[in-house]
Amino acid sequence: MEHQTPILEVDGLNTTFYRSGQALPALRDVSFSVARGEVLGLVGESGSGKSVTLRSIIGLARRYGEVTGQVRWQGRDLVPMPDRDLRQIQGREIAMIFQEPMTSLNPLLTVGLQLEETLRAHTDLSKAARRDRAIEMLDLVGIPSAAQRLKDYPHQFSGGMRQRVMIAIALAANPKLLLADEPTTALDVTIQAQILDLILRLAQDMDMGVLLVTHDLGVVAQTCDHVAVMYAGRIVEQGPVRDVLRVPRHPYTVGLMRSVPENLPPRTPLYSVPGVPPSLDVLPKGCAFAPRCAACIAPCEQDRPPLSLITDGRQVACFNPISKAQGNAA
Amino acid sequence: MTRTVLKVQDLHLRFPLGRSMADVAMGRPGRVVNALNGVSLDLIRGETLGVVGESGCGKSTLARCIVRLYKPSDGEIRFNGHEIFATDQRGDRSYNRRVQMMFQDPYSSLNPRMTTGQILAEALRVHEMRPETEIPTRVDELLELVRLPRDARNKLPHEFSGGQRQRIAIARALAVEPEVLIADELVSALDVSVQAQVVNLLLELQQELELTILFVAHDLRLVRHVSNRVAVIYLGRIVEIGDSETLFSHPAHPYSQALLSAAPSLNPDDRGKVTKLEGELPSTLNMPSGCPFHVRCRHASEICKQKVPALLPFEGRGEVACHHVEKINAHA
Repeated sequence: MEHQTPILEVDGLNTTFYRSGQALPALRDVSFSVARGEVLGLVGESGSGKSVTLRSIIGLARRYGEVTGQVRWQGRDLVPMPDRDLRQIQGREIAMIFQEPMTSLNPLLTVGLQLEETLRAHTDLSKAARRDRAIEMLDLVGIPSAAQRLKDYPHQFSGGMRQRVMIAIALAANPKLLLADEPTTALDVTIQAQILDLILRLAQDMDMGVLLVTHDLGVVAQTCDHVAVMYAGRIVEQGPVRDVLRVPRHPYTVGLMRSVPENLPPRTPLYSVPGVPPSLDVLPKGCAFAPRCAACIAPCEQDRPPLSLITDGRQVACFNPISKAQGNAA
Repeated sequence: MTRTVLKVQDLHLRFPLGRSMADVAMGRPGRVVNALNGVSLDLIRGETLGVVGESGCGKSTLARCIVRLYKPSDGEIRFNGHEIFATDQRGDRSYNRRVQMMFQDPYSSLNPRMTTGQILAEALRVHEMRPETEIPTRVDELLELVRLPRDARNKLPHEFSGGQRQRIAIARALAVEPEVLIADELVSALDVSVQAQVVNLLLELQQELELTILFVAHDLRLVRHVSNRVAVIYLGRIVEIGDSETLFSHPAHPYSQALLSAAPSLNPDDRGKVTKLEGELPSTLNMPSGCPFHVRCRHASEICKQKVPALLPFEGRGEVACHHVEKINAHA
């Protein structure tokens, strides 16, 4: 799919948290871009930095740590932007949805009021117009009898319906970019399929970019245009979904894909990457994946491989990438 | 010895909610959650039986009935021919020992103030598995069995990762030398690579110790991989049960078909191949009449609204509870 010029460009993003004086490099040198109408997946295991990336973009991480680098949004850099100005962008131009629809909705307010609150903050609509827009949004995300449900509280909705309400609130102000942090992880597969479908359809209709964080490669395969694989705070491989999933080139991507039990003889041992991800306070000197990597060569332990272009649109951070033929076999 | 270790027959479990003020005022009876509505299955010695279904379908409730955490309202569970609720539970611990459960959350199922050694020793003592003098040796053996280093015995649960904690949970279950393991979402909270390690361990131990496993999970790919047979549960009823590979490659019940197709495939070319399931699981407070699936089923007809379909053998493919199973599968 061809995309227009990027709306969001993340360039050399670093996020560091501090624990009892010790620096924890949560993100290092993260760069990517998202175009209008494009869905970019960020995939990786717990602690790889996927969620921190979203939080660093939207300005939630800087309250707890140090964020450097550039987040270019419509010609402006969000990293040094004062809170006052950033709030004009949060929720209005860039919206975010979280994993837990129960903890991110206020249990004491009706969903109508929570929608209304967003619309009041981010649009110039009149009271009557806001009510109409709230009904329209609930309707758009597939909540039956929307007008009646405005006065219901979050607990009166099921998990899937709550996530729909979250999406309705996030999209109420017509954002140009949606940051979705594991939006379907807490849901059943049947409801997951409905919600992902909804996000895709809305992204297309509203010409909105989506940055989708997930740990599920199946979700990536079924929804994203591009994917970035993260490991220990860095992007290790990125490119078009088809290319990356068909012929993974970074040994970590290969390992991640092999540990998914698909197309395997039943009850045979599953593959698992040996060892565990490094702790952020003791990252190896060279490539963070080197101690677990079967393809590790001498330079891997000394230097950090840069994320470099190997083919058209395909980037890999590895000194000894899996060859095309081997990647195919995996 | 019979091949069937555990026989569940027509199990019902209703949780009364108590009457609300409105119920009292209107003279209505209190509401009831119908968690299980006639579940029957046989667990065969040495097999892994997978149980899948959406949240709230009753899969964990079934697991909990089997280990006597819940007492069913109706129906029976027989272990090697003996009804498990017939005996006094406090007096008879041997059933508890022989059927062990492992839980989903490795953070809340281990006592945070006990070391691994104490956790394992406690299990050995409660069931009088070893004389006091042999307990330390046995603890070491158990740690080795689940591939944990020996120094793990002196550590507290918070010092371990999620995957290691689930190994401790497995060791604790195995300490009392059970015949049946009930794994309720054992690896659901873990990352894929860690998941793979724990599942491999479980499969190895099953071979080595000749264990029978009831594997409850919502991850369909994983259930397919570990199970010999699979049961699909919908609203407290089994809608289909049969050989795992057959069921996953050719599901016969329309609900199994929709559920299995919703699992996202790793192949980007499969986009749009999902059989859409409209709506959500109806509330167990308000059970639909007839077939529990008819409100979401595109094949539903009049009979589905009135009569509950029985779970019957279908073309040598296991058992299916659907009035129109022949018609549906003839078209496909």
